[in-house]
Amino acid sequence: MNRYGGNTSSVQLLFDSGEQLLLDSGTGIRTLGLSLAASPHVNILLTHLHLDHIQGLMFFPPCFRADAEITIWGPASPEALLEDRIARYISAPLSPVEVRELPCSVSFRDTPPSEWRIGSATVVCEAVNHRGPTLGFRVTEGDTTVCYIPDHEPVLGTELASVDPEWISGFDLARDADLLIHDCQYTDEEYPDHVGWGHSGMSDALTFASRVGAQRLLLFHHDPLHSDDFLDRFHGAARERWASLGGDPALVEMAMEGGELEVSPAATRAGVPA
Amino acid sequence: MGTMAARAQKPLELILARNLLTSLSTPAFLVDEKAELVFYNEAAGALLGRPFEDVGRMSPQKWIATYGPFGEDGEPMALDDLPTTRAIRDGRPAHASFRIRSAGGTEHEIASSAFPIVASEEGSSGAMILFWPTDEKAKST
Repeated sequence: MNRYGGNTSSVQLLFDSGEQLLLDSGTGIRTLGLSLAASPHVNILLTHLHLDHIQGLMFFPPCFRADAEITIWGPASPEALLEDRIARYISAPLSPVEVRELPCSVSFRDTPPSEWRIGSATVVCEAVNHRGPTLGFRVTEGDTTVCYIPDHEPVLGTELASVDPEWISGFDLARDADLLIHDCQYTDEEYPDHVGWGHSGMSDALTFASRVGAQRLLLFHHDPLHSDDFLDRFHGAARERWASLGGDPALVEMAMEGGELEVSPAATRAGVPA
Repeated sequence: MGTMAARAQKPLELILARNLLTSLSTPAFLVDEKAELVFYNEAAGALLGRPFEDVGRMSPQKWIATYGPFGEDGEPMALDDLPTTRAIRDGRPAHASFRIRSAGGTEHEIASSAFPIVASEEGSSGAMILFWPTDEKAKST
């Protein structure tokens, strides 16, 4: 079994209040859905509609429960309603069922332009640099903030290490986050062959994290061609690189299938001064 | 940490526009929704005689007082008539020819096109302005 896993993007946030939020609905959401309680009320925040971020929806067990209530939030588009855009996937010939046939109660909401509340959490989204309209999310409960930017190429066309913060994609979203979940798909050696693909190389992900003052960093969106052993070495290199930037290497972690992190406001800062 | 503090970051579409202009050899400006100059590229810096890093952001009034533009009669053009203002106000491209004065006092004939940057129904978040020198002196800059 793969230690890091092979599912596509899906993250569950559990709050002190007992409520939860799901971030993206890649294939990882299927297993997550099996563990949800009866009569679940689920909010899913979609960063964008690339297939690896929505393909788990059709296999999400609560979608097939009549007692489930699901609200799906995603980026607005002048082209079509969120429901209609997702229905391109959950419809024939790609799917045996249509959205309107799902037994659950499902609603689709455009993400608002200003912060909004979902239960005990405050949510803010912003457009970030990726291929196609893509959001990042900043989710705050009490004094604790998690920022989720799984697909992001902030270095494209700019000098990330030196440019003023006002010109950094995702800066406001991620600023001083207690946990930053960020794209780190490529090694520095691989990135030059993937410029403009919408993802980050290791040094760029770490530089972004240091510029925004993230207290803790979870490297996310691993390249599917990277084996577990490769990712182990990748993690080691990322920690060394972070230490060279003046950060605490223990606070750079790798996203892992089923991995759990407890997030709280940190007393010390892992980030390097911008 | 809490929710977002006062905004420090430009809208993504302006960030991407700046990244694009940085890569162009055509002189180009970037203004925000208030028509304040927030960036110009190296080619524009060569034309004006000063890099943006030495100048920083400028209000349109300050920009006009420093560099022009000037109409064919030599008088400063009215702010409302500038392609930049028209592009942001009307939400559509605008074009004009005029003269500007570089930091060294040299005047150049310029053709300028401004393109509004619109990412939402709330209107323009700024504009890109591209300049084409039309006099030989500026072309050789």
